[in-house]
Amino acid sequence: MSLDAEKKIAVHCRNIIKTYGTGASEVFALRGADLDVYEGELLMLVGPSGCGKTTFISIFTALLSADGGECDILGKDLNTLSSDQKVHLRAKSIGFVFQAFNLLPALTAQENVAVPLLIQGVGRKVAMQEAKLVLDSVGLGARSSALPAELSGGMQQRVAIARALVHHPKLIVCDEPTSSLDHESGHVIMKLLRDIVDNSNTTLIVVTHDDRIYEFADRMAHMDDGKIIKIETMKNQQGIIA
Amino acid sequence: MYQIALKMLMGDRAKYIGLLLGIAFTAFLVTFALSYFAGFITRGFALISENNSADVWVMDPAVNSTELTINMPDSTLGRVRSVKGVDYAVPMSLNDITARFPNGSFQFFQMIGVDDATLAGAPMLLDGRLPEVLHTPDSVIVDAGGSAGKLQTPLAKRDQWPFDRAHLNVPTRELMLGDELLVNDRRIIISGRSKTIPRFPPRPLLYTTYSNVTHLLPSESRRLTFVLVSAQENISPKQLANRIEQQTGLRARTASEFKEDTVHWFLINSEDVGDMAAMLILAMTVGFGVTGVMLYMFTYENLKQYAVLKAMGASASMLLGMIFIQAGVGALLGAGMGIGMCAIVGESVSMTLDYPFRMMWFTPLFGILGVLIVSLTAAAISARPVLKLEPGVVFSGR
Repeated sequence: MSLDAEKKIAVHCRNIIKTYGTGASEVFALRGADLDVYEGELLMLVGPSGCGKTTFISIFTALLSADGGECDILGKDLNTLSSDQKVHLRAKSIGFVFQAFNLLPALTAQENVAVPLLIQGVGRKVAMQEAKLVLDSVGLGARSSALPAELSGGMQQRVAIARALVHHPKLIVCDEPTSSLDHESGHVIMKLLRDIVDNSNTTLIVVTHDDRIYEFADRMAHMDDGKIIKIETMKNQQGIIA
Repeated sequence: MYQIALKMLMGDRAKYIGLLLGIAFTAFLVTFALSYFAGFITRGFALISENNSADVWVMDPAVNSTELTINMPDSTLGRVRSVKGVDYAVPMSLNDITARFPNGSFQFFQMIGVDDATLAGAPMLLDGRLPEVLHTPDSVIVDAGGSAGKLQTPLAKRDQWPFDRAHLNVPTRELMLGDELLVNDRRIIISGRSKTIPRFPPRPLLYTTYSNVTHLLPSESRRLTFVLVSAQENISPKQLANRIEQQTGLRARTASEFKEDTVHWFLINSEDVGDMAAMLILAMTVGFGVTGVMLYMFTYENLKQYAVLKAMGASASMLLGMIFIQAGVGALLGAGMGIGMCAIVGESVSMTLDYPFRMMWFTPLFGILGVLIVSLTAAAISARPVLKLEPGVVFSGR
């Protein structure tokens, strides 16, 4: 996929500051992090443990409030949104893929995938139909009635990806999506995510430590000590201003 | 989402069954305790229940239960009978007496004197006999009245009416027809045995005729405790009771009012009831505690799942609804199971062991309401960490 400077920005964060604790126990998790993520790109956010990656994605997915700075997500200024508006933004426009999959163990694969639609108030029948289609698209149509415990790690992550896709979000945030998987399964998952970016205008942000999957990124944002220290465009991508 | 909530509730079978059993146990405990209490209390007005042909009970104005009574002069019966609207009225005498057994031991009895002519108030007899046996001189009908082991008479002839001394620690057997006891040095003969409604507190009963009470208790100048009145068809028991009160100055209560009075008397005056109530409240508190903690733990253990839903955009009201649906459904199913078990166990022990169990209409209702209130309270308490939950915990390293 080719990216250029004219692309619209999906995530625009400037000088984000976040601290935990107070007084002597105060810890700076983010010390003025800046980041722009373009629509339709796959950006990987990398850095050592404790550098603030999780805090950063929690902030720009409206799960956590920053102590300072500005953050525009999909054209919405998070500082001006109420709690309900943030909940609505997450439900409508953001998809999540977690390291530990976080599927609801009592629900079948199809029901798990349908959850984001049910949260939005879509009827159960329609939601289940949509879920089946998306499961088919990730190659798990035949296992739609399986419980998470009956699926392999790779399959569970594909269900989680289907769940992140089902409501057609503009932004998908993946937190260490391959770290619980073996190399082969991780590769399959990343190929799937890459295909999503290539075939739609979805923006994907992947937090990872796994250097085996860097090849799938359009750009890499390196974090350390609560800041973005370097952004690089991957070799096979063109036209990005790093 | 509510279906999802129910799937979450039922998904972990072991936890779900444990939760249901916990709630069922509480519902069982609460309903059983209340039914047990109701059983005891209803035994308190057993005398009224077994005389169900009496529409109105007339008594001394100071009497307000069957438990604590004072007798009236015999002339009272005539005064009551003279009131317009009375179809018929019969006397009943209640007295506490001490009867001596043939070996010299003794036992307190409640002696119930019934109308000589109609024998109204006499119980149905065992052994196929009829209450008319009371027309035989010195006859009494004996009933355990809910007590156990208090109607024992010496087994061997040599231990009965001995001349040397009392034969107290000798083998005994249950009183039988033809056995004799002494009351005030007067002989009474067991002419019948009955098994009426057990009393609370349990006590052995002796039924005899009203006139025989005079022979057995010659020092009592007043022996009329109640006048049992049947109302004519053209007047309601309540109206007749009011009329009797106005014309005689006595206390007249319909049967249902008198039952309520007696229950009220027990609740106010009986220390036994207070002790029992304290025990039952303790049992119910334990049950409620178990239910509350189990429900809280259930929600708490699912916090991560709620965090995922919250991250995906589930609103606070949606999560609250899910938690309350889970608690409500769990409570209703558990309560249903518990009340069902209570009915089966209670009726079984009531029939086989003469246990004071009475599942009245309000006892299962209290069981369900109690469990529902506790469950919803536990849900409300456990909802707090869900609402306070930072959805970012779903990410790695948090």
